[in-house]
Amino acid sequence: MSRPLLEVDHLVMNYTTEKGDVSAIQDVSFTLNEGESLGLVGESGCGKTSIAMSLLRLVAENARFDSGEIRLDGTDLLSLTDEEMRQRRWNDISMVFQGAMNAWNPVYKVGDQIREAMDLHFHPRLSNAEVEARISKLFELVGLNPAMMNRYPHEFSGGMRQRAIIAMALSCDPKIIIADEPTTALDVIVQDQILQELKKIQADLGMSIIYISHDIAVIAEVTDKIGVMYAGKLVELGSTREVFARPRHPYAFLLLSSTPSVTGPRRKLAPLEGEPPDLLNPPTGCRFHPRCPYATDQCATDEPPMEDAGDGHQVACWNWKEVPELGGLTK
Amino acid sequence: MTDLGQRAPEPDLEANAEAVESQEIAKAQSLWQIRWALLRRSFRNNWKLFRRNRIGIAGLVIIGFFATLAIAPSIFFATGFWSTSVYDPVTGLEPNPPSQQLEIVQTVTDPNTQIDIRQVLVDGRINGNIGDVIDVTLQPAPPYGKHWLGTDPLGRDILSQLMYGAKAAFGLGILAATVTVLIGTVVGSVAAFYGGKIDAFLMRLADLLIMVPGLAILIVISAVVRFQLWHLAVVIGILSGFGGVAIVLKSQALAVKVKPFVDAARVAGGSNARLIVAHIIPNVMPLSFLYMMFTVTSAIQSEATLSFIGLLNVDMSWGLMIQLANNQGYLLQGGRYWWMVFPAGLAVTFIAMAFFLVGRAMDEVVNPRLRKR
Amino acid sequence: MSQPLLKVENLTKLFPVSKGFLRTPTDFIHAVDGINFEIQPGESLGLVGESGCGKSTTGRMLVKLMEASSGHVLMSDKTHTDDLIDIANIPNDQMKRFRRRVQMIFQDPYESMNPRRTVFETVSEPLTVQNIGSLKEREERVSEMLRLVGLAPPDAFLFRYPHELSGGQRQRVAIARALVLDPSFVVADEPTSMLDVSIRISIMDLMLKLADEFDVSYLYITHDLAVARYMCDRIAVMYLGKIVEIGDTEEILGNPQHPYTKALLSAVPVPDPSFKREEVEILGGITKAINPPSECRFIERCPWAKDVCRTSDHPPLEDKGDGHYVACHLVESALTSA
Repeated sequence: MSRPLLEVDHLVMNYTTEKGDVSAIQDVSFTLNEGESLGLVGESGCGKTSIAMSLLRLVAENARFDSGEIRLDGTDLLSLTDEEMRQRRWNDISMVFQGAMNAWNPVYKVGDQIREAMDLHFHPRLSNAEVEARISKLFELVGLNPAMMNRYPHEFSGGMRQRAIIAMALSCDPKIIIADEPTTALDVIVQDQILQELKKIQADLGMSIIYISHDIAVIAEVTDKIGVMYAGKLVELGSTREVFARPRHPYAFLLLSSTPSVTGPRRKLAPLEGEPPDLLNPPTGCRFHPRCPYATDQCATDEPPMEDAGDGHQVACWNWKEVPELGGLTK
Repeated sequence: MTDLGQRAPEPDLEANAEAVESQEIAKAQSLWQIRWALLRRSFRNNWKLFRRNRIGIAGLVIIGFFATLAIAPSIFFATGFWSTSVYDPVTGLEPNPPSQQLEIVQTVTDPNTQIDIRQVLVDGRINGNIGDVIDVTLQPAPPYGKHWLGTDPLGRDILSQLMYGAKAAFGLGILAATVTVLIGTVVGSVAAFYGGKIDAFLMRLADLLIMVPGLAILIVISAVVRFQLWHLAVVIGILSGFGGVAIVLKSQALAVKVKPFVDAARVAGGSNARLIVAHIIPNVMPLSFLYMMFTVTSAIQSEATLSFIGLLNVDMSWGLMIQLANNQGYLLQGGRYWWMVFPAGLAVTFIAMAFFLVGRAMDEVVNPRLRKR
Repeated sequence: MSQPLLKVENLTKLFPVSKGFLRTPTDFIHAVDGINFEIQPGESLGLVGESGCGKSTTGRMLVKLMEASSGHVLMSDKTHTDDLIDIANIPNDQMKRFRRRVQMIFQDPYESMNPRRTVFETVSEPLTVQNIGSLKEREERVSEMLRLVGLAPPDAFLFRYPHELSGGQRQRVAIARALVLDPSFVVADEPTSMLDVSIRISIMDLMLKLADEFDVSYLYITHDLAVARYMCDRIAVMYLGKIVEIGDTEEILGNPQHPYTKALLSAVPVPDPSFKREEVEILGGITKAINPPSECRFIERCPWAKDVCRTSDHPPLEDKGDGHYVACHLVESALTSA
């Protein structure tokens, strides 16, 4: 019923540094359908923010796309000129940056800052009155009093600033919003309010959202589909319900087993031993093998391909059949 | 957990030097040996960062050049290459100054072959009338084989003076900078750490020292006491240490003071003195070193200014060389007596610039935010 | 075991809101406002709340990084059995001894170690300032501590600088530093919140293991109820300087009574998409407690506020059975009417 809107196809991206190449994104593929929400979860440095930045082509200067495509509605974004890409940013894909709530310029009114973003990017040129009407509609949509658009950022609480950031991301009517750690600096109650708001807006406007977070519980709350990333690779991809019910990749399994929860039985959690690898010299074969309790000799030498584990639930692991059911490890 | 211990070494360290040091650390008998090895390592890392900066290296080369100049006279005198009676910067005298045949004329058209009659009348050492060709002793003498940078009006060697001035400049600069850093670091750290009345008192004092014009103070002091070079160093050190540097270091110390590691040391039972000495000062030290470089620059410039005005009681310095040229009327002669003005002037300019450049380069090592990626 | 390790009585901290130069401040933020609790030996209490609720301020007062405005922190003294000593009255010459018994673990592993000191210097600092042992003995003790916190072999870590360690390793060093004096009480202020998810559990497990081995009690400060549940025997929920609910962990999470606790609990994201939870909506956002009125602190945001809440003072903590205390008029009236 829904058609693919965004297709990331075998994307490979490296950062060139003095010490060598940092393998930030290694052969990542996924699709995002219209009206769908996808979560990318992983630890810091796993490449999730690099993917977000690649989708907008806002990568650092030393980033290098070595292969692969990012197709939006069939057009490869990586082949566009800078000017063509600039036209698409905000209009087709917009982003709620990590910590953006602290990036408001303190000396301008919040409404004026949104207006400026629209002046720069929004296509149908609007009159002043139309812009104003649009901003107040957006404010209502994100649960802010439209009168607040004439206030300065310091008059907003953290949660309100984040809502205004979301309003700004919506201002050019994008098809896709990328939300990079949208609630990380917020308190639990405000985080919950914002997540519910985002869910509602997504349903109302029928847009697609890519959530990026290190917090697997946040992803569980708001997404239809989830991709688990480890050290620059997508290791598991499937419907959120499937992945949480039956994680197939050992990393996803251990991540879920090591996430404390306020619900369910109080249990001993399984720690993930070791530390994430240095992406200057990633481990050979499967990048998770040095920390993996299910690793075999093959894992150290051969890179596992994405395999279908049934129902479109994909996993990149040689031994995914060995991974037990969740809860099998408890006590 | 065992794999934690075998983490790959930091890739930006030179691998073999790292390995050698690790062995040294492993074999070291005392804590001091370990500290020394660690210090060397951190020095090497900082040097790697510094080395990338071309202007910093240029500064170091200039400083190295002047340092060589400063050391050279001692070697020349000790080896007998220079005799004290001729080359001493203050008491030396060229016994056989060069001379030149000049024609006495009414109006000089070519200063290399003619001399003004009025100059002959004024100078008691020579006689003659218009049209005579006379032998004139050149003092100041322009550069020639025996005196590479010529001599001054008293027949003293300019190169020797320049070298001696370099020594004075280094002494002055380093002393002033040390005093600055000592005072600035202690005052800044103490004000930041204790806050309240102590802070208010120290900072008002600092404001006062910033507000008074430094040169005016120096002039006043030199009018009251016989002002020697090291006095000047100490006064400049106090002025800049207590003034600007203390304020900058205080703001740095304030940022350090609220770090959890200071709280951790307090919770461990550390006294205030320990918190300041072991935790705050080491973390503002890099910034102090930076200001040390800038103080050297300003100290050398102040010395030149004061000597030029004639308020400093020194044997020989670059400022004094220029003052001498000025007093005797050789300064504004359209560059005819360049050897009396330019070497000293350029030396002041270049050494001040060199320390400034090194300071700028150190800034990048000290403030990682300024580093180019 | 009736003698508590630590007893907090009416502990209050007011911060003046500065009003110009040289004027006596009239406005105060009531960061911590008359809180009471006890910690038994070997027990861990979780102090949970949103940012600005006063949980960190409480922790800092307990380790004397901050003086209380009023109220008392009483600690049992191992040498004089039975007596509780007010830490505010410890004479200066005995402060060092107090420091041996109470330590702290900080939130930010990147800032809690002096970047210019090695692991050895950091971990041995408490021994150095307390004049314990010779250099050789200190080195042995530090090595032993590093082994205990999972930094093995210790020789590979002793002379590293913080920037050569990962976040998890630094937090292990911080734990070693806190426990090297063998304290009986440790305040842990969000020790895992800045670490990567995959590292957190191993650090929390380490802290639990060492709590047993060193017989130490934690005051575990966190905003994350799930973490508090994993770490603590009891939980105290703070809101704007007041403890609104305190009790056994499972009791608080399974049977929350205070409206704020309910709202907090319902807002915690759950790593289980099939979990359907009860939504508890509360009003508005968190405010600052500047000269707060005397009635219930939570009143502005409470969807159930009744007249009794508006007319009476902030409710005291009252026992609802089994050591479960709640500060809410409505919970009480629900009980009495039932």
